[in-house]
Amino acid sequence: MSYPKRMTKVLIAGHKRHLETTVDALYEADLLHVEDFVEGDDSDFEIGMPIEYGEEVSRKLVKVRSIANALNVKPTSETVPLTESDVSKQLDVKLAEMDKEIDRNAEELSRLDARVKDLESAEKEVLPFLGYDIDLKYYSGYDNLAVFSGTVSSLNESRLLEITDAYQLFTDSGSKFFVLFVAKKFEKDIQSVLADMGYREMKAPDKSGYPSDIYAALEAEKSEIQAQIESLIAERAALNEKYGNFILASDEFLSILSEKAELPLRIATSEHTFIIEGWVPTNNFDEFTAAVSSKTNDGVYITTLEVDMHDEKEIAKIPVEYENSKIASPMEAVVDLYSRPKYNEIDPSSILAISFPLVYGMILGDIGYALVLMTLAFLVMKFMKSDAVKKLMYVLIYCQISALFFGIIYGEFMGFPLAGLMSHGVYTPGLIPGLETIVFDFGIIAGEPLMFPIHRTHMIMTFLIATAGFGFLHLNVGYIVGFFDVKGQHGVKHAVLEKLSWIVLEIGVIAAIVAWYLGLGTVGIAVGAIIAVIGVVMLAKGEGIKGPIEIPGLLGNILSYTRIIAVGLSSIYIASTVNDIAFGGLIWTPADGFSVMMFISILIFILGHSLNTVLSIIAPGLHALRLQYVEFFGKFYASGGKIYKPFGHLKKYILEE
Amino acid sequence: MEFTTEGLAALSKAIAIVGTGFASAWAEKVIGAAAVGAMVENESLFGKALVLTVLPETIVIFGLVVAILI
Repeated sequence: MSYPKRMTKVLIAGHKRHLETTVDALYEADLLHVEDFVEGDDSDFEIGMPIEYGEEVSRKLVKVRSIANALNVKPTSETVPLTESDVSKQLDVKLAEMDKEIDRNAEELSRLDARVKDLESAEKEVLPFLGYDIDLKYYSGYDNLAVFSGTVSSLNESRLLEITDAYQLFTDSGSKFFVLFVAKKFEKDIQSVLADMGYREMKAPDKSGYPSDIYAALEAEKSEIQAQIESLIAERAALNEKYGNFILASDEFLSILSEKAELPLRIATSEHTFIIEGWVPTNNFDEFTAAVSSKTNDGVYITTLEVDMHDEKEIAKIPVEYENSKIASPMEAVVDLYSRPKYNEIDPSSILAISFPLVYGMILGDIGYALVLMTLAFLVMKFMKSDAVKKLMYVLIYCQISALFFGIIYGEFMGFPLAGLMSHGVYTPGLIPGLETIVFDFGIIAGEPLMFPIHRTHMIMTFLIATAGFGFLHLNVGYIVGFFDVKGQHGVKHAVLEKLSWIVLEIGVIAAIVAWYLGLGTVGIAVGAIIAVIGVVMLAKGEGIKGPIEIPGLLGNILSYTRIIAVGLSSIYIASTVNDIAFGGLIWTPADGFSVMMFISILIFILGHSLNTVLSIIAPGLHALRLQYVEFFGKFYASGGKIYKPFGHLKKYILEE
Repeated sequence: MEFTTEGLAALSKAIAIVGTGFASAWAEKVIGAAAVGAMVENESLFGKALVLTVLPETIVIFGLVVAILI
């Protein structure tokens, strides 16, 4: 059990002419969590102005990011960090150079894109006329002929014939498109008849030449332009290759400058002075002071400020950073998923490092799945560089170690029992020939005999009670942690009333039950009941009315732990169903010998177990997590601390000089 | 039609599982929708949203326990 890192409140004051060097020094130190200055009515101080270079930096940053966006720059494995001086020296020249090249490329590209669009719309216009071998120039320019071209919903030629037979009609069987030449004097009549048929005009393009020739020419031009576009895109990729590295480095370089330039917006300044308030980990305070003093040539005054540890508001302002052993630190990710601890409460990471994998293992408990998932976790860790992913993989590995351990206790491998078992006259063979389950001839619950390895499917009642019992213990660990938490925050008296009262209540109830079970009579039960009532009174005193109201919830919390066996059984049954389908005789059994069906069986086996492997992360993971978050954390964990974010930056693409 | 003890017990188990299953599903549906809505606003709520969403899962676990006890 450990508390978060101890923090010291720091005040840095100095003359404004030292502001820039101070900001540089603070950034370099990467230790100070700056507390934002809030302007008050009576204060002589006000929020500062950004450092002058800020404006120019943001302008350049916008440009770099727009270039990065246009080139789609992403970090690759070949990205090499550049030195800061290199970047700053070359920045202006390269920026102008990149800007020019990319502008030209972008302009050309948009011109070509527009041209492709034009060509496509021209093609669309010609397309309907492709079916008729008529020069486009013959579709217009007549004195005595009217031309109709377009579509109708259904063409009724007899209605045309009612008007005149002096026409020439071309239709295309495939489309509804038609062309009609008719004497000019009938134009009006024909028009109204066509309108009735749902005529939609599609005028012939104002061009001369055969549609097929025109179409071919358009296509040719289009493919030529497309080739040009492709070469421009290739050029872009080349630009990306050429500048990508520099763009990433300069983005980082400028971001750092911009962050520095904006620090004055978070601090107090007067006409000539500035004051920065913030938090530094106590262990690093000396190192911090030395670094800042030497960088600023002792130009600033650094001092610590007292913090009133009884003022909850003041405590809420303190940023929280974890301080855990290497083994427990991956669990910080799990705690962060819920919420960071408060500054003055116990950081539950190290407890979680034991209890989370323990519950996960109790649920999954299968050697096969544990080995598969462990291998998977190691592979992901090998190929993924991200720290966040690595932390989660460590958590997964912890869980699998526990699942492996329980897998051996349960004697399960991919849903198969490892050891044979004789139960109620039915013999189930095990995966390992000759290995038999040791069945003791006594049981504790519901006449179920104890055995090793433990077959969960044959000891359901025992497991229901055992998991509830585990829950009871787990929750009490929560109360004990809570006891130390409250003791640290408000003193022993509060801790006893708020947390120990639960344990007193439990002892009372257990005493009463034991007395009843052993037949000790009313006196025994009464003693238990009195202890329980004392517990309730203490609780009511400690937590007010809210405490006794929560008592029935405790029973619900304990019963909630029976999910350990419930979810576990569902996983076993899925696995053994897959095994039954694959090798149980439906398709193939080992007795059938070598055949094609064997491969189908193996395929079903692999698919089914892949599905169950995925479920084996999700179901036990979520349920184990929930037992920690809801049941366990509910007993002690307040959470809601502020995350420690030191002013500084992890340099990824810039080399330290 | 004749009711046997085993038949009635099996039916009771089924009712316990079906009823609690539906109850869990319905509750999780309502909470899940709200949780996703909250997460759109603030991604860091994932942990709490997850906890709230799986909270009603307990109902079906109780159903299962009852079904086993029948």
